[in-house]
Amino acid sequence: MPKHNVAVVGIGQTKFRSKRRDVNIPEMIYEAVKMALDDAQMEPKDVDAILIGNMDHFEGINFSEMWCGIDAAPGYLKPVVKIATGGTTGSSLGICGYYNVASGIYKNILVVGWEKLNEGGATTGIITAFDPVWERPSLAGALGPLALMANIYAARYGITSEQAAKVTVKNRSNAANNPFAHIQMPDITLEDVMNSQMISYPLRLHDCCPQSEGACAVIYANEEETKKITDNPAWFKGVSTAHYYTFGCDDLMFDLPTAAIASKKIYKKLGIKDPVKDLDVAEIYEPTSWSELSWTESLGFCGKGEGGKLLDEGITQMTGELPVNPSGGVLSTNPIGATALVRFAEAAIQVMGRGGKRQIPDVETAMGMGFGGSLWTELAILGKDPKPLR
Amino acid sequence: MGKKEKEFQIKWKTDLPYRYSIGKLAVKYFEELKNKKIMGSKCPKCDKRYMPPRAVCANCFIEMTVEDMIEFSPKGTLVGFTVVNYPFIDPNTGGMRPFPYGYGIFKLDGADTYMMHFVDETDHTKFKIGQRVEAVFKEKTEGDIYDIPYFRLIKEEEE
Ligand SMILES: [Zn+2]
Repeated sequence: MPKHNVAVVGIGQTKFRSKRRDVNIPEMIYEAVKMALDDAQMEPKDVDAILIGNMDHFEGINFSEMWCGIDAAPGYLKPVVKIATGGTTGSSLGICGYYNVASGIYKNILVVGWEKLNEGGATTGIITAFDPVWERPSLAGALGPLALMANIYAARYGITSEQAAKVTVKNRSNAANNPFAHIQMPDITLEDVMNSQMISYPLRLHDCCPQSEGACAVIYANEEETKKITDNPAWFKGVSTAHYYTFGCDDLMFDLPTAAIASKKIYKKLGIKDPVKDLDVAEIYEPTSWSELSWTESLGFCGKGEGGKLLDEGITQMTGELPVNPSGGVLSTNPIGATALVRFAEAAIQVMGRGGKRQIPDVETAMGMGFGGSLWTELAILGKDPKPLR
Repeated sequence: MGKKEKEFQIKWKTDLPYRYSIGKLAVKYFEELKNKKIMGSKCPKCDKRYMPPRAVCANCFIEMTVEDMIEFSPKGTLVGFTVVNYPFIDPNTGGMRPFPYGYGIFKLDGADTYMMHFVDETDHTKFKIGQRVEAVFKEKTEGDIYDIPYFRLIKEEEE
């Protein structure tokens, strides 16, 4: 049991873009951190500790917490810890931040995730994250295995390319309402997606997430601190993590076992019986359009093979019973080390009612998901209060 | 931003060599690969058969030793496929990975886990999930990962 309830009290994110050549890494991190501090009306001196994360090999750097985390994060004279867990880097940051405050170690903490993907190459960087002997020689970064997954998923359940393309249309239409989202295609059509270049069969260009540059910073506080900072926080109700075996090929990635295990655990803990009814919005980690269809199944939003039907029925649309990715999701914005933290931040924004044009009305409970690492899933459920639903 | 801003660039090229310890099981694997045999690991407790081999069964937290290794058939079943059709730098060579290339996930006969590798086919319509595949060995094996440069799709009439 947590000793303290934990709330999100400040959020900052840069406007994500393909390239931020106008700034170096610390300059980019500073933008998000300054926004979060201003949002919480805090000064660096008010912050107890810093968690910072990215995937260094994507930029070909190392030990970046030293030269990016001290001045800009702001870690000067404070505890600074670096977290790097692949695609889940942002959610690992988000969950570790929660543990640090919930346990009573710190009364508040600032977490910041970032990536500057066009300074290196995501595919090359991802290959170096895998076993040098067994996996590197044929691995094509994340998209090759995700294409295999899409292909198997389609064959197993008769999911069509058109159903997958509808996910991109939904998410990128949503991104047009999000001033921070990278890909802006407000008039995107099904044909745009289905006629885009074949990247790795059956994935077309617009079935895939982009490579983005940017940073996201979130400030957490315990109950006592939160009262001093804001009367509109987003409270953590719970977090959940599940890891899987060693190699990328140890699972087929549809019917994602870690998503099923992590979600069952957190739903049970919070008394969630039907996530579609009990959650008001979900920000899930969908590196491809096909992943969203499949993983809404794994998260229990519908039965196996029904991800396409869930979308077709409009349930995951902005006006549906459980809108998924009103921010535009990973399909619109993917600064890897920040991506999953953006999911948590966007869930908090929805709870706070600060989503502007992407706001879902009357959000009481929101879920954020991270995916990555070795096929693993991390979840956080936030709400207007820290209590379980039942 | 409107007008194009002037970019200031500093360019350099980096060569970063690494040497990895591959582990006892991989040593055995590559020794036997030279004899055109494919060796995986087997859990002494739950009998799960792993390919690629590894040192610990995650489920049992039991060490799988070289003595526990077993031979797998070079033949297996295609579980999924794609044709990779995008450019990227291969960290193993420092150059661009040639593309397009066929890429599959298979289950070798007798294995409980999947493995991924190149397939010598770049037309995605030629693949069929569930079809038979076979590891193709180089004529002169050297005991390295490229001794099996790719898998081939076994045509139905061959079976
Ligand atoms: Zn075992």
